[in-house]
Amino acid sequence: MSVFVQYLVNGLTIGSFYALVALGYTMIYGIIRLINFAHGDLFMVGAFAGWLVVAAAAGMHLPVAMQLLLALLIAMLAVGLLAMGIERVAYQPLLKSSRLSILITALGVSLALENGAMIAFGAGFDTFPANILPLTGFHLFGAQVGYVQVAMFALALLLMVGLYLFVQFTPVGTAMRALSFDQDAARLMGINVEGVVLITFLLGGSLAAASGVMMGLYYTQINFMMGFLMGLRAFTAAVLGGIGNIPGAMVGGLLIGVLQSLSAGYISSQWQDVIVFAVLILVLVFKPTGIFGERVVERM
Amino acid sequence: MATRVGAWQPLVTRWGPLVVLALALMFPLGANSYWLTVGIGILTFAMLGLGLNLVVGYAGLLDLGYAAFYAIGAYTTALLSTVGHMTFWETLPFAVACSAIAGVIVGYPTLRLRSDYLAIVTLGFGEIVRITATNLGFTGGPNGIYAIPAPSIMGYQFFSQDSQYYLAVAFLLVVLFFTRHLAHSRLGRAWLSLREDESASEAVGVPSVRVKLWAYVFGAIFGGLAGAFFAARLTAISPDSFTYTQSINILMVVVLGGMASFPGVLLGAAVVVGLPEILRFMQLWRLFVFAIGLVALMLLRPQGIWPAASRKENPFGPGSERKLGPPLPLEALARSRDGDGEDAALDVSGLRRRFGGVLAVDDVAFSVRPGEICGIIGPNGAGKTTVFNCITGVTRPDGGDVRLHGHSLRGQTPHQVVGVGLSRTFQGIRLFKNMAVYENVLVGMYPHQRATVVDSLLHTGRQRREERDSLLRCQALLRFCGLEGLAGHRASELSYGDQRRLEIARALAAQPKVLLLDEPAAGMNPSEKQALMGLVRRIRDLGVTVVLIDHDMNLVMGVSDHVVVLDRGRKIADGTPREILADERVVDAYLGRDENDEEVNAWPS
Amino acid sequence: MARRYSWILAAAGAMSLLVAGCGSATTSSSSSSSAPIKIGVPVPLSGSYASAGEDIVDGAKLAAAKINGSGGVLGRKIQIVPVDDACDAQTATQAAQNLVSQNVTAVAGGYCSSASLPELQVFHSQGDLPFVLDASTNPQLTELGYNDVFRTIGRDDEQGPFAANFIANYLHAKKVVVMDDNSTYAVGLQQDTVKALKSYGITATVQHLTPGQSDYTSVLTQINQLHPDVLYYTGYFTEMGLLLKQAHQLGYTFQMMGGDATNSPTVLSTAGSAANNFIVTTAPLAQFLGTAKSYVTQYTQKYGQAPGPYSVYEYDAVSVVAQAIKNAGSTKASKINAALSKIHDFKGLTGTFSFNKIGDRTPAVYITLRVVNGKFTAYKELNDAGQWVSVH
Repeated sequence: MSVFVQYLVNGLTIGSFYALVALGYTMIYGIIRLINFAHGDLFMVGAFAGWLVVAAAAGMHLPVAMQLLLALLIAMLAVGLLAMGIERVAYQPLLKSSRLSILITALGVSLALENGAMIAFGAGFDTFPANILPLTGFHLFGAQVGYVQVAMFALALLLMVGLYLFVQFTPVGTAMRALSFDQDAARLMGINVEGVVLITFLLGGSLAAASGVMMGLYYTQINFMMGFLMGLRAFTAAVLGGIGNIPGAMVGGLLIGVLQSLSAGYISSQWQDVIVFAVLILVLVFKPTGIFGERVVERM
Repeated sequence: MATRVGAWQPLVTRWGPLVVLALALMFPLGANSYWLTVGIGILTFAMLGLGLNLVVGYAGLLDLGYAAFYAIGAYTTALLSTVGHMTFWETLPFAVACSAIAGVIVGYPTLRLRSDYLAIVTLGFGEIVRITATNLGFTGGPNGIYAIPAPSIMGYQFFSQDSQYYLAVAFLLVVLFFTRHLAHSRLGRAWLSLREDESASEAVGVPSVRVKLWAYVFGAIFGGLAGAFFAARLTAISPDSFTYTQSINILMVVVLGGMASFPGVLLGAAVVVGLPEILRFMQLWRLFVFAIGLVALMLLRPQGIWPAASRKENPFGPGSERKLGPPLPLEALARSRDGDGEDAALDVSGLRRRFGGVLAVDDVAFSVRPGEICGIIGPNGAGKTTVFNCITGVTRPDGGDVRLHGHSLRGQTPHQVVGVGLSRTFQGIRLFKNMAVYENVLVGMYPHQRATVVDSLLHTGRQRREERDSLLRCQALLRFCGLEGLAGHRASELSYGDQRRLEIARALAAQPKVLLLDEPAAGMNPSEKQALMGLVRRIRDLGVTVVLIDHDMNLVMGVSDHVVVLDRGRKIADGTPREILADERVVDAYLGRDENDEEVNAWPS
Repeated sequence: MARRYSWILAAAGAMSLLVAGCGSATTSSSSSSSAPIKIGVPVPLSGSYASAGEDIVDGAKLAAAKINGSGGVLGRKIQIVPVDDACDAQTATQAAQNLVSQNVTAVAGGYCSSASLPELQVFHSQGDLPFVLDASTNPQLTELGYNDVFRTIGRDDEQGPFAANFIANYLHAKKVVVMDDNSTYAVGLQQDTVKALKSYGITATVQHLTPGQSDYTSVLTQINQLHPDVLYYTGYFTEMGLLLKQAHQLGYTFQMMGGDATNSPTVLSTAGSAANNFIVTTAPLAQFLGTAKSYVTQYTQKYGQAPGPYSVYEYDAVSVVAQAIKNAGSTKASKINAALSKIHDFKGLTGTFSFNKIGDRTPAVYITLRVVNGKFTAYKELNDAGQWVSVH
C-alpha cells in the first residue's frame, strides 16, 4: 500500500509538469489545428530563463522566495513573448497553407531553439543551486512526500485552474473558444482573430515556461535537449486527454505521469514508454478522440 | 501561357529524369568517397521518402513513426543473414513481408482514427518498435547486430563505396518504378481523393479504410526495403538509427520536397541529407543554420521545393486518339435496364431518424419507379438531406428500410451503396479540389474497375487496357456534361456551374442505377438552371433513375415525373407535379416560411 | 512553366557544381612536406552527447598545441580535424568518410560505441587508417581483429571485475542491485559486473532505467523494496545526479555507486549535499592523476571549466599517435600502425601504458573515488598484492 502511494505521489508530481506543457499543445491545436512541435522547446527556454534569473537574483542577494518568484514571472513573460514572436514570424504566414508545411516549420523552429540554446548555454548540463529548495517532507500512508512536491503540484493546479477560468469566463477566453469552433464565423463576428491567436501563444508559452522553471528547480539540472522528451510526453498527454480540450490536457498529463510511475515501479523502467504508448493506442482504438475529446473539424 | 505548358512539359518530363539519372550515374566519377557516402545517404533517404510519400503525400495520413518500418526491414535482414545465414537477396522477401505485416498490424485497428490521432499512434508505434529492439536479447539489445554480410552477386561483393552507390541507385530505381506505377493507378487516385476529402471519396465508392490500409502496407514495404539495404550496407545496425528523429527527417524529405511530387521527394532527400553535410564547416552552428534554412524554405515555398503539378495536360487534347483510340459515342454511356427486375428502382419504407430530441425523419416512405425523375421538396428543416444521408448510408437510420431494385441497403456503408448502384452529389460541392477534372471522374469509376493491386504495381496489360477504357469512358462522360475541354484543369479552377456538372459526371462514372442529386441548382442563374434541367432529362434518357432535392419549385415541378413533399420530417404529399400543386397542405407548408434559409445539414463537415 | 524548367536546370547545375566541387576537393589537399599532419576526431557535436564531444575535442587541441609548441612531428605541425558523428550510425559513416576525404593521417577520438563501430569499418576499409579510441570502452571494438584499432582507455570487461571486487571485498555487501540505462556501454558494464559478482558468490539483481526521464523515484522505490546494501549504476552522469538526489529525498540509505561515466561535476551540482558518500569506479580522472596536474590547470584556464572524464584520454590518444608517427618516420598508415603496436611504456598523462596484441591498453588502471564535502576525492585502489588500499 505504502509503495503504491509512493508511486502515485511520484507520478502526480511529474504528471503536473506534463500537464502544464500539454495545456499549451492543446490550446494551440484547438485554435489553429497545429501540433506545435516547438512547444517542448519553449519549456526548455523557460527553464534556462529561470536559471539566468536565479543566478542574477542570487548575485543581488535577494531572498530565496523572491528569487523564485522573479524567476517564474520573468521566464513566463519572456517565453510568452518569444512564443508570440515565433507565431508571427514562422506560423502566421502559413496558416492558410497545407497543415503539413506548418508542421515542418514547427519542427524547424524546434530544431533552431534546441541548437540555439546549445550555442548560447553550451551542450552540457547547467544546474540550479542544488539546495535552493528544501529536501524535507512528511509521511503520508507510509509514502515519503516532499513539501516541494506538494508546492509544485499546488502551483501547477493553480495555474491550470486559472487558465480554465480565464478561457471560460473572460471575453478573450470566449473569443478563443469561438475561434476553436469556427474561425471564419468568429472573424465575421468581429473577433480579432490574429490577436486572439497571439494571446493563445502567449498563454501557452508562459505555461510551458512555468513548467520549465518548476522542473528545473525541482530536478536541478537543465539542458538544451530537455524539451524534446517533454514535448513528446506532453503531446501524448494532450492527445490522450482529447486534443483541443483543456481539462483533457490536465487529466492526460497527470495520467501519463502516474502511468509511467506505476509501470516503472511494477514492471520495469525500460518498458515504461512502451506501456504508455500501448495504453494510448488502446484508448484511441476504443475512444477515437481521446478521453474528453469532442469531434473537431480538420483541414489538411 | 497555356500553349507553353504544352510545349515545355513533354520535354521536361521526358528528358529531365534521364538527365538526372545520367548525372547520378556519373557522380562517382567526379566524387571522392566522402561525397559518395553522402550520395548513398541521399539515395537511402530518397527511398524512404518515396515510401512515406505514398502514405503522407498521397493518402494524406500523417505518419510520425515511419522509421519503425525501416527498422523492421533492417532487423529482419540483419537477423536472417547473421543467425539464419541467408544471403542478402534471400532476406529481401522476408524483410518486405515482415514490414508489410507490421503495416497491417498498426494500420488495421487505427486507420479509422482522424489524422492527428493517427499521427500519435504512429509515433507511439515507432517508439514501441525501437524500445523493444533495445530491450530484447535476440535483437542484440542496445548493441544491435554486427557483422552483417555485405550483399554480393555471383561472388562479387558490394563492399567498395562505388559499388554500394550503384546498388543504392538500383534500389532507388526499383522503388521509383513501383511507387510511380502505384501513383498512376486507380489506387493512387483513390489515395489522392482520400487526402482531398475523405467522406466525399467514400461517398463516390472508394472503400476508404481498405485503400488507406494499402497505403500503409506499401509505405511499410518500401520502408522495409530501404531498411534491408541500410543493414547490408553498414553491416551493423543498432536501435539508435531508428529514432523518432529519424522519422521526422523522413517526413521532412516529403514535405520539404513537395507532397505527392516525385522530383520533389528526390530533391527533399538531397536537401535533408546533403545540406547538413555542406554545413559541416560551421561546426556548432551547423544544425542551427539548417533549422533556420528549413523554416525559411517552408515560408518561401509552403508547397515544397518542387510541388506536384497543379494543372495536368488534357488527356483528350489533340493527338489523344492515337493513344486512346477513337472517342466513344455518347450512346455508349446508356445503361441497359434488362437486369433491373420488376421492383421499384428505389423503395423507402418507414424511415426514421432522431437527432437528440428532434425527430428529423419520421416514418417516411416513398417509392421511385425505374426510369423516372423523382423530385423531393420541402421547406427548410423538412429532413430532405437527412433522408438522402439515410439512403446513402452516411447516416444510420433508427428504423425503416431502403431497397434498390429490391436489394436492401440496410447497414451498408456509403461505398458499398455506390457499388450496388446508387450514386449521389452533394448540397455543398465536394470535389477533389486539387485533382484534375478527369481525375475526379476516374475516381468515380473506382467501384467498377477490376485492376488488382498487383496489376497496379506492375501496370500489367489488363491494367493498361482498363485505364484506356476508363479514360475513353471518362472522355464521353465529360463531353456528356460539357466539360471535355476542361479535363486537365484543377477542379478548383472551374466555375461554380461547371463544378456542379463535374460532380454529376463523377457520380455517373460509377454507372449508377439511381442517381441522387442534392440541390443541384443551388446558386445557379435561370439560364444555367434551364440547362441543368436538360442535363437531368438526358441522364434519365441514359436509363438512370434520378431523384433530386431542390428548393426551387419551378425546377422540380418542371423536370419531375413524380414529386414527394416533406415537412418537419414527415411526408405530406406524393404524386405528379400537377397533383402536388393542387395540394393544400403543400401550399400551407410553403407559405409563410422563408425559403432561403439553409437547411440543417446533417452531413459531417 | 518556364519556372518549372528552370528547376531542372537549377538541380542539374547544383549537381554538377557538387561533382566539380568534389573533384577539386580531392586534388587540392595534397600532402606536401610542409602541410600540417591532420588528425581526425570523430565525436558527437550535436544532440544529447555534444558536451562530451566538445570536451574530447578540447583535449585533442591541447595535445596538438603541446606537440606543435615543441616543434611538431617530422617537422610538420599537427592539425586537429573534428567532425560531428551525432552518435548515429549513418551520420558516423558520413563523418568518417569526410575525414578520409580530408586526407587525415590518423584518427583519435570516438565516444558512442554505436558510432565508433561504423567509423572503424570505414577507416579499416580505407587503407587501414589508424584509429586510437579515447572513450569507447566496449570490448567488441578491438575484438574485431583489425590491425589499425587501439585504445587509451580500459575496457568495460576490466572495470566490471574491478567494481565487483570492491563491492565484495571492501564493502562486503550481501545484496547488490546493478542498474544500467539500456545504452550499449552501460549494459556491457552491467553484464561484466554481474558476472564478476557471481564469482564472489553474490547474486546481483539487475535493473534498467530509461535515460532522459528526470524522475526516477519509481525505480528507486522499487529498488528500495529489495533492501540492498549497494546500488551500482553503470549509466551516465546525468541520471546519476538525479538518482542520488531523489534517493536522498525519499530517505533511502543504501550505498550508491557509479561507473566511470558518472564521474562528472554535474553529479555534484545536481545532487548537492545528497552526493556525499557516493562512490565511483573510474579510470583515474586527470584531477587524480599526479601526472596530469598541469593539464588540469591549463585546461581550466583555457576553457573556463574543469576537464570532463575523457579529454585526458584523448590527449594521450593524440600524443601517442604523434609519437608513433615520429617513431615510424612516415605518415603512411601501415607504418604508423606498426609503430603503434610497438608502443611500449608510453608515458602519458594517464600513466605509463603499452598496447597489447589487439590494441587494448595495458595495464588498464582503475581506482575508486568518494564524494566528501561536495567534492570527488581519491578513495581506494587495488595494490599489486590484490588488497584494497587508500590512494595516495
